[in-house]
Amino acid sequence: MSSFAFGLLCLISFALPVPILAWLDRPKRKP
Amino acid sequence: MYAGHFAAGLAIKATQPKAPSWAVLLGVGFLDVLFGVFVMLGVERVTTTPGVSPGFRLDFIDWSHSFVMSLVWAAIFSVFFWQRGRAVVLAVGFAVFSHFLLDWPMHPPDLALWPYSSQHIGFGLWRRFPTGWWWMELAFILAACGYYVIRARRSTMFGGRAAWACVLVLILHMVNSPWLAPTR
Repeated sequence: MSSFAFGLLCLISFALPVPILAWLDRPKRKP
Repeated sequence: MYAGHFAAGLAIKATQPKAPSWAVLLGVGFLDVLFGVFVMLGVERVTTTPGVSPGFRLDFIDWSHSFVMSLVWAAIFSVFFWQRGRAVVLAVGFAVFSHFLLDWPMHPPDLALWPYSSQHIGFGLWRRFPTGWWWMELAFILAACGYYVIRARRSTMFGGRAAWACVLVLILHMVNSPWLAPTR
């Protein structure tokens, strides 16, 4: 794996889960 | 450490629910986002080491991961949230700096005190325990996620799908295992 590919993989690995986790962490609906 | 950073982010969010989730979760990985950009630009250097845990050697990461720069990045990142109050600024800033604190036990001594410092720190669990580090990180994830889920049950401000968030973190940890990681 090239350094560039490693850097890109690292960037994606730490950026991609953020919106998904933030969405799962959304406030609960009031009953 | 990889998924453990996200688990730490969930725990920080549970401690300060007013902090934006995206900011905390981006914050805990912010040093590695910078690292990725810096490596692509040639500012920092990494060498892959297939078969030797953890599968890569971090040759120069002083701008993204040194002790002083971690504090600087935490300050820069958190200042954007000053309008949300001191507690949120501190939570977001700590999220960024927590990356350094959690990398410290895992990394071999490749964490400089400041850019181009001759002193480097790191306890080196990755090297000392080529597979054991994964179980140690798993223990941390379970503790952090357990805290997050318990706090989420008592609050309506966050954690709408708390258990699923933890499942995702565990999946990320599985993908980053010594047996499955793309850099193993």
